[in-house]
Amino acid sequence: MLSLRVHGRGGQGVKVASRILGTAAFLEGFYVQDFPLYGAERRGAPIAAFVHISEDPIMERGVISDPDMVVVMDETLLQDAGAKPLSGLRTNGVVLINTSRTPEEVTADHGVEAQVVTLDMTKMSLTMLGESILSTPAGSAAAGIVGIGEEYLKEAAERVLAGILSEGEGLDENVKLALSVFRAVTPLDIKTVEAPPEASPVIIVSFEPAQISSPTINALGNSPLRRTGNWRVFRPVWNHKVCTKCMACLARCPDGCISLDEEGFPCVDYENCKGCLICVRACPAEGIEKVREAQVL
Amino acid sequence: MKRDMLTGNAAAAWGVRLAEVDYVPAYPITPQTEIIETLAKWISDGMMDARFVSMDSEHSMITAAGAASATGARTFTATSSQGLLYGFEMIYTVAGWRVPLVMVNVSRGLSSPLTLEPDHNDIFAIRDSGFLQIHCETCQEVLDSIILAYRLAEDEQVLLPVMVNMDGFYLSFTREPVEIPDPEEVREFLPPYRPKHAFFMASRPMAQGVAVLGGSAYSYFKYQMHLASLKALEVYGEICAEFEKKFHRGYGPVEGYMLEDAEYALVMAGSFSTLGKKAVKRARDRGIRAGLLKLRLLRPFPEAYIRRALEGKRAVSVLDQNISVGKGGILYSEVASCLFNSKKKPVLLSFIGGLGGKNISPQEFEFIFEKMIEAFEGGPSGPHLLYTEKEWDDISILKRTAEKEGDA
Repeated sequence: MLSLRVHGRGGQGVKVASRILGTAAFLEGFYVQDFPLYGAERRGAPIAAFVHISEDPIMERGVISDPDMVVVMDETLLQDAGAKPLSGLRTNGVVLINTSRTPEEVTADHGVEAQVVTLDMTKMSLTMLGESILSTPAGSAAAGIVGIGEEYLKEAAERVLAGILSEGEGLDENVKLALSVFRAVTPLDIKTVEAPPEASPVIIVSFEPAQISSPTINALGNSPLRRTGNWRVFRPVWNHKVCTKCMACLARCPDGCISLDEEGFPCVDYENCKGCLICVRACPAEGIEKVREAQVL
Repeated sequence: MKRDMLTGNAAAAWGVRLAEVDYVPAYPITPQTEIIETLAKWISDGMMDARFVSMDSEHSMITAAGAASATGARTFTATSSQGLLYGFEMIYTVAGWRVPLVMVNVSRGLSSPLTLEPDHNDIFAIRDSGFLQIHCETCQEVLDSIILAYRLAEDEQVLLPVMVNMDGFYLSFTREPVEIPDPEEVREFLPPYRPKHAFFMASRPMAQGVAVLGGSAYSYFKYQMHLASLKALEVYGEICAEFEKKFHRGYGPVEGYMLEDAEYALVMAGSFSTLGKKAVKRARDRGIRAGLLKLRLLRPFPEAYIRRALEGKRAVSVLDQNISVGKGGILYSEVASCLFNSKKKPVLLSFIGGLGGKNISPQEFEFIFEKMIEAFEGGPSGPHLLYTEKEWDDISILKRTAEKEGDA
C-alpha cells in the first residue's frame, strides 16, 4: 500500500488534487481511499488531504501520520510550524514540492531527508491557464511519480474537474495542463521503510477540578498573536511611481492591514496580510503588483 | 451497476436517489450538508423526481418529514449532532406516528466543547425514541443501508422510522470505491410505497398522534412500538437475505470478523470498526486469538445474535465511541445486559475511545488486548479511557496557553 499526504492552503485545491490522484488509481484498478481534513474552513489556512492506494482492501480510516510520499503545493508551508508537511515521512520517502528551485536548493534549505522532486507548477499553470491553479498539476504530478497510467490520469482529471468547473468551462485547458505536468515527471519506485510507531503509553486520566477541566480560556487578548501573514501565496507590492495616494486600497482591505507611511503612501503589515489581493483589484491606477511569495523568501 | 469513488455523503445521496423518494425537507449542518446539496442539485437538474424544501430549522424539518411520511410520500431527511438535538422533540413524536421515514445522521460530537468530528453521543441520544438504528462502517454500507431502511420501515409489520448512521469525516468526507446498483434492480427490490396503514388523504380525514390521558392507553401504544421494533429484527433478516440474493452483499444485524475461533473479542460499531479489524489481524500475528464483533443494528438491539457471538469467549472488550457521563460506555451496559444470565459469559471490559474523532492508535488496541488477557487471568479492570501520554502532554500545553490555574 502507498500512503500519500497532500499539503496546501485553503483555496489551492488540495482536496481536488487528492481526488485526481485517487480517481486515477481507482480507474487503474487499485483499491483507493482519499480523505481531506479541514475544520472551520478558510482560504489560505494550511489544509491537508490523504490518499491510500493499494492492491488489497484498505483497512485504514482517518489521517495518515506516516506517509510514503508528501506533496507540498505551497513551498511556504515548509516553514510553517503548524502544518509540518514533512512530519512522519518514512525513510526513503518522496517529497514533491511546487517550487521554482532545484531539489538540491530545497534540500539544503530545509534539511529534507527524502527523495525530493521539484516542479514549478505555479509557473506551468500561469503559462498554460493564465492563473495559478494548483489542484490539477499537483494531482497529475503525484500520479506521474506514483506511476499511474496516462490514460487513467486523463480520465480522472476529466471526471473530477467536470464536477467542479461550471458548465465544463476551461476543462480542455486543464486536462492539457494535467497531461503536460504528468509528462514532466518520471515514475519513481517508492519503497519506504515502515517507521516503528511512536510509542506513547495509555495513561490513566485523573480528576481535575472544573477550574482547570472546563473548556474556558482565561488568557485574554491573545488572538493578535496568531499571525495570518503566512497564509499568503502572493503578496501585494506598491509601485510608488504609479500610486496616486487615493487610498482606495486602504479603504478596501478587509483586514485593516494597510496604513499610510510618513509620505502618505500605503504600506502593508505583511505579518498579518493574508494575500487576498483585493487591494490589487481595487487600485484604479493599477499600481499594486502581485508577487509570488516564494520569490520573496 | 457501476462502480465509482464516493464519499459517505455522496453514497447516502445515491441511496436516496435510488430509493426514488418523493420529498426531501432539509436544513444544512456540517458534516451532513453535502448530502442535501447533492440531492438539491439532482432535483434541480431533473435527475430526481422529488420535491426539495429548505426548512427554517431541524425541528420544522423533522416535523415536515414525519407529516409527509404520514401522507404516504416516501420521505428522506438528514442531520447531524446539534441539528438532531434541535429537532429532538419531534424525533419521539414522529416515531409515535408510526410512519416509515428514513433519516441519515452523520455523527458528530456534541457541544460543549464544540467540535466537528465524530462520536456517537448524538445518535445514542435518540436511542429510546422508537427510531430503528443502522450503523455503517463503509461508504458502501451507507448506500445499501438506505435502500434496506426503506424496505424495513415500510414493512407493514414494522412501520417505524429508521435512522442510518455514519461517522462524520471518517465516512462522510472519505471517498472509497462504491458499487451503485442498477435503478431497475433497486425498483424490483424496493417497489413504490403503497401504504395500507392509515395515512392522510384529502378524501379521508383522520386524526394522528392523538392525546391519551390515563396511562393504560399510553402504555399500550408505547409497548406496541417496542414489539414492532422487535419484529423488525425478524423482518430485517428476511430483507437482508433478499438483498444479498439480488446484490451479492450481505448485512446481518451483527458482523463477526475472525470471531469464530477467537478467545478475545472486541465489540465495536461504525467506521472505527475498520481500525479494530486491522488491530485484530495484528494481534493474530502476535499469537493472540483475537476477533471482532461489529454491531450494525443497534435498535432493535440484536441480543440473541450478540449472546451467540460472544458466549464462551475468554474476555470481551466493548469499545464505546460515546460516553454516558456518570456511567461510562453506553454499549458496554447494553452488551452486559444480554450476557448477564448466560452460563457461558465472558469476562467483560469497558473501553471508551474515539471521542470527538480522536484516533485510536495501534498501541491503544494493544493495550486493550493486554487488559483482556489480564482480565481472563485475574479479573476485569477499568473502565478505561483510551488516552495516551502524548495526548496528555498536548492537552497540558493547551491548558497552559489558556492560563488555567493550578496546572503545573
